[in-house]
Amino acid sequence: MNPLSELQLDTLTEIFNIGAGRAASSLSEIVGDQVKLSVPRVQLYKSSDINAEVLSLNGLRVGAVKQSFSGPFDADAMLLFTEERAMEIVHDMMGSQVAIEDVAEFEQEAMCELGNIILNACLSSMADMLDLSLDSSLPIYSVGATDLILSQIVSEADQPVMLVLHIDLAIEKHLSQGYLVFLLSSSSLRELLAHIDRFISRI
Amino acid sequence: MNFRPDYHTSIWEEIWDAVKLGLILIDSEGKVLLWNDWVAEHSGIPAEFASNNSLESLFPGGLSAPFKTAIKNALSHKLPIILSNALHRSPLPIYPLPITQHEQKRMQQSITITPICVSGKEHLCMIQIADASISVKREGVLKSHSERLSKEATTDGLTGAYNRRFFDERFAAEFGRAQRQNIPLSLIMLDVDYFKRYNDHYGHPAGDKILVAVVTALKAQLNRPTDVVVRYGGEEFAVILPDAEVDGGRIIAEKLRVAVADLSIPHCESKVADHITVSVGIAAYQPGTSCDATCLLKAADAALYDAKHNGRNCVRHLTSAEFSPSGLANEA
Repeated sequence: MNPLSELQLDTLTEIFNIGAGRAASSLSEIVGDQVKLSVPRVQLYKSSDINAEVLSLNGLRVGAVKQSFSGPFDADAMLLFTEERAMEIVHDMMGSQVAIEDVAEFEQEAMCELGNIILNACLSSMADMLDLSLDSSLPIYSVGATDLILSQIVSEADQPVMLVLHIDLAIEKHLSQGYLVFLLSSSSLRELLAHIDRFISRI
Repeated sequence: MNFRPDYHTSIWEEIWDAVKLGLILIDSEGKVLLWNDWVAEHSGIPAEFASNNSLESLFPGGLSAPFKTAIKNALSHKLPIILSNALHRSPLPIYPLPITQHEQKRMQQSITITPICVSGKEHLCMIQIADASISVKREGVLKSHSERLSKEATTDGLTGAYNRRFFDERFAAEFGRAQRQNIPLSLIMLDVDYFKRYNDHYGHPAGDKILVAVVTALKAQLNRPTDVVVRYGGEEFAVILPDAEVDGGRIIAEKLRVAVADLSIPHCESKVADHITVSVGIAAYQPGTSCDATCLLKAADAALYDAKHNGRNCVRHLTSAEFSPSGLANEA
């Protein structure tokens, strides 16, 4: 399934990379060291096609930070990392004063904040570039078996389209890969694409 | 939310001030519109003073950089933001009560910043400050509990030595490491001589004291943190000596025997001395030999048996070059 033109995909990738840059600077400020974040690839899937293999989430368990947003189009936005990665990221963010075995206690709230920063940055860059305004809920973090979390995401949303952003996150030279997933209804996707086309025609 | 019309708007102020949470409302310029009692109490800044001022002028130099960025982002992007306690600890200069004059540590905080839209145009920003010290404290308590529980699960209640459960795990792990890294491993087994007679003559409480004294004496002879003393059962103890060859192990074993004898605890029922003594067996694993963990354990046991049957209050040894998994069966 790929109703997006190359130009549309490039534009989305560009928009999200601007968001990633914003998120990286916020994260650097918190970590006190350089954090790099980029979105190398954006892909569109049918929700029903999504599983752990497609997303190459090879961990047993995955952590997901979710925010629901609304505006000219509505979507659930979710940041996904394998739990192992999530723990490493939290450890890197908290610095060496925390032992890796103690990280579990902080995983929930620290991952919530990390997701909040990345999701907000992507949403705000989308809002700025496409000249629209978006409202968002507060982030919720859930962690569980990968297939369970993924099937929950797909069924709960009842939204047929998934925009999947590949995310590269580097903290203290430690590279992690994750995903940012937008779940959209067909009408929301149409609305998003209409905004993108308007943006393209302006430049 | 809907209130009956006979409720006045002043009820909002009442609720605002009754909340056990810090609530600050700022306008799109960052000026304070509302400042509840909780914030006034914990910051020492009264609401009248805070009103219409920016947070930066109210807390000069006191706001963390990520907090300032978060407020700026919340106002410009109108998206909700959280600042977790895990990553920020204390972004605002607010303190536990009562606020004293002298140096005080900032309160542990969890902060939520939510954009609020008034009649579709003006964007305000609400800052909620929750006191995270209770959960931080709870985490600390849980952590010390789990440390205590794991200590209890691996320690012998009477003597404070490690228990058999710990031994099984540690011995298997150390043996695996010795095999992988091609390094020797020594295992000492020792037993208090004529302990049953001691118990019968002096009573069990006195016997218990002997076990405690023996463990203390053994521990005092071991310098490396990786050398561990285990109560293997009854009056039998084991000492794991990683990276120790049989010669080094024998020296330690002899030191342990002497240390117990030097306690000079009278034992009138002993047939080998007039004081408490131990018999010691030691077996060493030599890299490259076909010995497994069970076989090393049997060898140390056999060496102890040997010491028991050769006069007690002495040290006997075996190396894995001298025993094989099959050969030992006869000896033990």
